[in-house]
Amino acid sequence: MTTVNNSYQDNNNNPAVAATKQPLPPAKSVDTQSVLKRLQSELMALMMSGDGGISAFPEEDNIFCWKGTINGSKDTVFEGTEYKLSLSFPTDYPFKPPKVKFETGCFHPNVDVYGNICLDILQDKWSSAYDVRTILLSIQSLLGEPNISSPLNTQAAALWSNQEEYRKMVMKLYKAV
Amino acid sequence: MPPSMEDQFLDGADSDEISRSFTCCVCLDLLYKPIVLACGHISCFWCVHYSMDGAHESHCPICRNPYSHFPTICQMLHFMLLKMYPVAYKRREKQTLEREEETRCFSPRFDAYGGGSHTYKKLKIEADPADPSITVFEFKLCPDSSSNRVKKHFADLMQRQPVSLPQDFVIPISKQTSGGNPQGATLADEENVVLKNNLDQTCEQLSIADVQCTACKQLLFRPVVLNCGHVYCETCFNIPVDERFRCKVCQVLHPSGFPKVCLELDNFLEEQFPEEYALRREAVQLKAVHLHDAPSTWSKNSGIQGFKWSSVPKEEYSTWLRDNGPKIHPCAGCDSCGMYPIVGDRYRCKDCKEKIGFDLCGDCYNTNSKLPGRFNQQHTPEHKFELVNWKLKQEMMRLMVEQLGDGFAAPYFSGISLEQPGDPTAAFVSLDDAEETAENAAAIVLDDDAEETAENDVNGLAASDAAPEL
Repeated sequence: MTTVNNSYQDNNNNPAVAATKQPLPPAKSVDTQSVLKRLQSELMALMMSGDGGISAFPEEDNIFCWKGTINGSKDTVFEGTEYKLSLSFPTDYPFKPPKVKFETGCFHPNVDVYGNICLDILQDKWSSAYDVRTILLSIQSLLGEPNISSPLNTQAAALWSNQEEYRKMVMKLYKAV
Repeated sequence: MPPSMEDQFLDGADSDEISRSFTCCVCLDLLYKPIVLACGHISCFWCVHYSMDGAHESHCPICRNPYSHFPTICQMLHFMLLKMYPVAYKRREKQTLEREEETRCFSPRFDAYGGGSHTYKKLKIEADPADPSITVFEFKLCPDSSSNRVKKHFADLMQRQPVSLPQDFVIPISKQTSGGNPQGATLADEENVVLKNNLDQTCEQLSIADVQCTACKQLLFRPVVLNCGHVYCETCFNIPVDERFRCKVCQVLHPSGFPKVCLELDNFLEEQFPEEYALRREAVQLKAVHLHDAPSTWSKNSGIQGFKWSSVPKEEYSTWLRDNGPKIHPCAGCDSCGMYPIVGDRYRCKDCKEKIGFDLCGDCYNTNSKLPGRFNQQHTPEHKFELVNWKLKQEMMRLMVEQLGDGFAAPYFSGISLEQPGDPTAAFVSLDDAEETAENAAAIVLDDDAEETAENDVNGLAASDAAPEL
């Protein structure tokens, strides 16, 4: 057996295909239908679950792009804030993670000025059992528990030890948006 | 092609009645051709296959338990679900088949369940001349023939599996589609009526014969599923001397220690057959007292010793880039034992024409494995093999393309499949570009690796070099 979704093999490397000497059908490495179905199921589950503090909904014309919101958890420096995020799903979702970015500026050690998030489950620790809900919950808890050892925003990482000052900074930048 | 009425009808009609226990964590739909991993978590055949890592050991999507072998479909669960959810399961079958037609790779097919006893037949290689995997190239050229063919195939399948479906469900579909009848609308109407009739009937009752232990032939108690897909009670196994488990039915070695109990199935059985289950529990506890061996030792064993065993040491996946490292064949798996990716020698069948190919690892090749492929390959023992020439650079290329498919190669590859589907020239130009970039990236990775002798994760390095914007 070999991997099924392998465009490189489709076009170059496949003895079986080469042997047939027939025009190839267009390489269709993704199955959009099953991605759509999965995203629809997620949307249904998300709307039924009623989790406090997170929400997400597809953009008007594209179910592959969602907008989400996260509320800062109680008893953290982010309490009382609301952040908008964008989620963009690849065509081989859920086998590859979506690209998730903060749309609202977020002063956080693991978020850079462009809104990119450094979170392992969105990269190499991704699992196909994660979904929008678990991603948003993970980011929500990342807000309160940053990983200081590998910061994207060094200023935020340096300030984290002083929670009072940090809170002021968060609120200052948050209102500025 | 817009979804037919049949599709629309099939889509929503059954989804709310499926138990959460039998919902796949990946596709969030009813499990189809279920696979039970060594940690006891269940997922669909294709969901497991697509979730596996082409160059490293894979991890369970739910608990991250590492595993290195692609397990075989659990036929007992397959036929159990078919019996419990006949309509939804057929819908899943149809959807999966359509998807398989698109990718031209097919999952294995099973013969009909052998009635009430637990004697379902072994996985069989189909010698059917109408098999989609063989005729697919001709059919792809005729417009719109595929949907009819799916229907025909669907109908054929149901005729072969008459267990849970009334005959009238099959006849109208097969008669009309085999003749190539273009009256799609009336056809769909008739099917809807037939399907609705089918929905009204209650599904067949599950009996204990459907959920027996392969060894003791009683109701399963704390079921475990081996890599070969056979199901046993946890207590029906003795720890063998060499600490490797061999299936009593198919004699296949289980590669990764003692599997964990499949809790979803266990809970379901306890609910479904409360009295029988309680009796089984008593019997097992009584036996344990006699042997001075409480059943809890079993859980302990599976939790500590068995759980993390793997026939492929983890280091091998990170050291293969060095000269002295083992040979790893990214994105290629053994069709006999299921090792994926293959570590060591890889033999490829020269005669199998299926796109998925037929490969064996060194061990399975040397033991003359006669097992059928993990997909629906038409492999026979007469086929000839060749040893795959392993070149580091070539394998790196394959890995790059596969692993960085979205971040790094996306501008090149997704362009082929999505934006310029009909333009072969563009595809070739893009491929050349991709190849160059991949070689550059490979060179960087290799340099880094030479400088830092620490065990670097190939993936991590490659990703950080190629896609810094992540």
